[in-house]
Amino acid sequence: MGQIFFQTQNLTMQFGGLVAVHNFSIKIEPHEIIGLIGPNGAGKTTVFNMITGNLIPTSGKIIWLDRDITALQPHYITTLGIARTFQNIRLFGNLSVLDNVMVSYHHRLKSSFWDAMLRTRRYRSEEKHIREEAFRILTMVGLDHFAREPASSLPYGQQRKLEIARALATNPKLLLLDEPAAGMNPQETLELARFVRSLRDSFDLTLIVIEHDMKFVMGLCERIVVLVYGHTIAEGRPEDIQHHPEVIKAYLGEKRHARY
Amino acid sequence: MDKGLKKTILNISAIGLLFFALWLFDRYGTEYHVRILNNIAVFIILAVSYNLVNGICGVLHLGPNAFITIGAYTSALLTMSPAEKKISFIIEPLIWPLSVIQVPFWMSLIIAGLVSTVFAFLISYPVFRVRGDYLAIVTLGFGEVVRVLCNALQGVTNGPLGLKGLKPYTNLWWSWAIAVITIVVIQRLINSSWGRAMKAIREDEIAAKAMGIDPFRHLLMAFLINAFFSGVAGGLLAHLITTISPTLFTFFLTFNLLMIIVVGGLGSTTGAVIGATLFAWGSEALRIVESPMQIGSLYIPGIPGMRMVIFSVILMVVIIFARKGIMGQREFSWDWVFAKIKRKHT
Amino acid sequence: MNFQIFMQQLINGITLGSLYGLVAIGYTMVYGILRLINFAHGDLLMVATYAVIYSMALFMLPWYLSFPLAILFTGLVGILLDRVAYRPLRNAPRISLLISAIGASFLMENLALVIIGGVPKPFPRPSLFDKVVDLYGVKIQVLTIYTPLTTIVLLLGLLYIVRYTEVGKAMRAASRDFETTRLMGINLDRVIALTFLLGSSLAAAGGIMWAMKYPQVNPFMGIIPGLKAFIAAVLGGIGSIVGAVVGGFLLGIGEVLIVAIFPGLAQYRDAFAFMVLIFLLIFRPTGIMGEAIVDKA
Repeated sequence: MGQIFFQTQNLTMQFGGLVAVHNFSIKIEPHEIIGLIGPNGAGKTTVFNMITGNLIPTSGKIIWLDRDITALQPHYITTLGIARTFQNIRLFGNLSVLDNVMVSYHHRLKSSFWDAMLRTRRYRSEEKHIREEAFRILTMVGLDHFAREPASSLPYGQQRKLEIARALATNPKLLLLDEPAAGMNPQETLELARFVRSLRDSFDLTLIVIEHDMKFVMGLCERIVVLVYGHTIAEGRPEDIQHHPEVIKAYLGEKRHARY
Repeated sequence: MDKGLKKTILNISAIGLLFFALWLFDRYGTEYHVRILNNIAVFIILAVSYNLVNGICGVLHLGPNAFITIGAYTSALLTMSPAEKKISFIIEPLIWPLSVIQVPFWMSLIIAGLVSTVFAFLISYPVFRVRGDYLAIVTLGFGEVVRVLCNALQGVTNGPLGLKGLKPYTNLWWSWAIAVITIVVIQRLINSSWGRAMKAIREDEIAAKAMGIDPFRHLLMAFLINAFFSGVAGGLLAHLITTISPTLFTFFLTFNLLMIIVVGGLGSTTGAVIGATLFAWGSEALRIVESPMQIGSLYIPGIPGMRMVIFSVILMVVIIFARKGIMGQREFSWDWVFAKIKRKHT
Repeated sequence: MNFQIFMQQLINGITLGSLYGLVAIGYTMVYGILRLINFAHGDLLMVATYAVIYSMALFMLPWYLSFPLAILFTGLVGILLDRVAYRPLRNAPRISLLISAIGASFLMENLALVIIGGVPKPFPRPSLFDKVVDLYGVKIQVLTIYTPLTTIVLLLGLLYIVRYTEVGKAMRAASRDFETTRLMGINLDRVIALTFLLGSSLAAAGGIMWAMKYPQVNPFMGIIPGLKAFIAAVLGGIGSIVGAVVGGFLLGIGEVLIVAIFPGLAQYRDAFAFMVLIFLLIFRPTGIMGEAIVDKA
């Protein structure tokens, strides 16, 4: 047996009497793109919150690179190589677009506090390097022209891109995207799918994507997990999921509320 | 010329100019001027470092008066001679080894800063377990605890009698040199990767954590640095006023600092400097409303509390109608000055 | 310490605790809806006592008219406080709201200082409350009996309003989910105003009884009781009305008994409450009756 890359075992999250997620188990291999779908309130974001340490699961385990990371601190989990974006965009609004990305390099900073105070050569060169790297990522997502603008001044779609840029800058091996296509038009969504796939290759990433846009998910993901009321009702390749009777039932019942 | 070099030269000349002005005041100014200038410097130290916690990290810390008190007592106890201590401590003798130690003023300031920092470290765990209103109350409570201890631990603090007859070591050189150091240190921190992380915590703590930033470490860093400078400023104040007692540095002082950084603009060092200057000058100028006046045959008695009424109204008006204060989160920069000059010439 | 003294101290603690409890209710109610510590809440104690002094001295009102009027007046001051200092900041960052609260507190204290002066005034305690009864050898001032009884009666009245009236239901809805309540077409500003009216009136009742117990009144008298009442609210679990009263009793009894058992600690009495707060935050930040806070991303 080789190394366990990423695995969750019977993750369960209870809020009071309400079971938000029930026995969520998944095993992911490097380089996969997994889709996590389901009607609103199915517990998808709760799964992300447990993986990233924002919520402590009621029971179950999360294994990352052979290590149990259940209930570790969120910032520590990020340093281990798991990054995320937020469904309800959470940028550092008053900071510049460039600073938003540069923040993500801080946890890997080698210079000491005293280097920074004394502005040593080591500190200055590292700061310069971080600035260039951040710029490179901004250029990739097409935000380099806005580098000096405050993040809050960006249009909605650009803010979503900045979320991704910022997460990428933390140097993740596993990236969790929470509704990256929300609020985008079909053309933008198509570009986003292409972009995410290119990221996987150039950054050697593994991705879990939550998204309501079925076309996006079906086109992008290699494997899909369907969550309904916290229960995993189906898992498989996109074409299998599309014809899965349980999934059809869950989605037909939901159709009126679906966004697209 | 290299832009960086140009700015360094400008910075150094500005500081040179500042100290030349101070020299003029020291030599030709009245006692009144010197007092206001000393107050300005001390409030700059306090406000600029306080702004690091409240303006940059965005947490409402309400206990700088506690660290000022600790610094003031530490520094005072270290500069008094053993003989003076023996005379002062009449209720209960001062405990050994404080009773025999005496160090130079500069060393007492550094130790005052360090002792304040140690106290800040000791309470940091409960303080940063919570946020927002709770954090405000815990730090405020710590100020109360320090006041109670100052009254009760007579063998260390001489209780309600306080410490009298301290040597007036604090002068314009000490206070302004430390003020300049404070500004440089805090500015370098704010403009470093650490400062960026602190601002990220202020903007959105959950997102900051998701970017790998440990809030506790960074908030602690800001809190300790603030405590250090508050302690040093406490030592300066003690040797400026020459008498300290448990009732001297109450929550009023914290309120004043809060007003300074809010009016100056939360998150701006420049704002804190402007606020501190306005406050130190304004509270002297407003003394007039609290002292009796004679206008013709009309006698107006002094109204104690009037200054604080004015200050609290100013604080509320600014926070409700002009939340950004004077500077917002902007800073003074030479680039801005160049741009202004250029615009005038073209 | 013999039984009599112990009982005496225990009753003292209960009286003090019931005062903390009354004031704590206001903190908890406002916090429940606005998620704000109303820093100026403690100063309402001071407002109420001065209102009593002035209505009795200037208008020669008997105490049974003066007390309710002072309570009503303080309730209106509470509404004014919300209107001026908090309502303009409903959508502002929370730090601004808190700073405004601190400003309001200082304004009230110093306005009182300017208008009335800093010399402590004696509080005109009705002689009715001076009587002493003897209960199995334990001498008790009737005031110390009336205080907790009044607290219980007021608590029951408040619980009735919150649980069984329309406005009470709106209040509870608002403290559960502010946004949804707004969307449901409930006039939140009215609900909040009512919350301030009720909370401030209870603080006024607490302030009047406080002044009867410690009949020296000055502009800054509300600060320490206010802070301690807040700690009582946290101890009981902020957001819970019953919790606030329970927390008040625990804090009051604890404070009195610790000093009674260890007289050497008398000087540290005012620090006790804050030590409780610090330990509480380390070990159980949600208080005794509070629910767990969920860190939601």
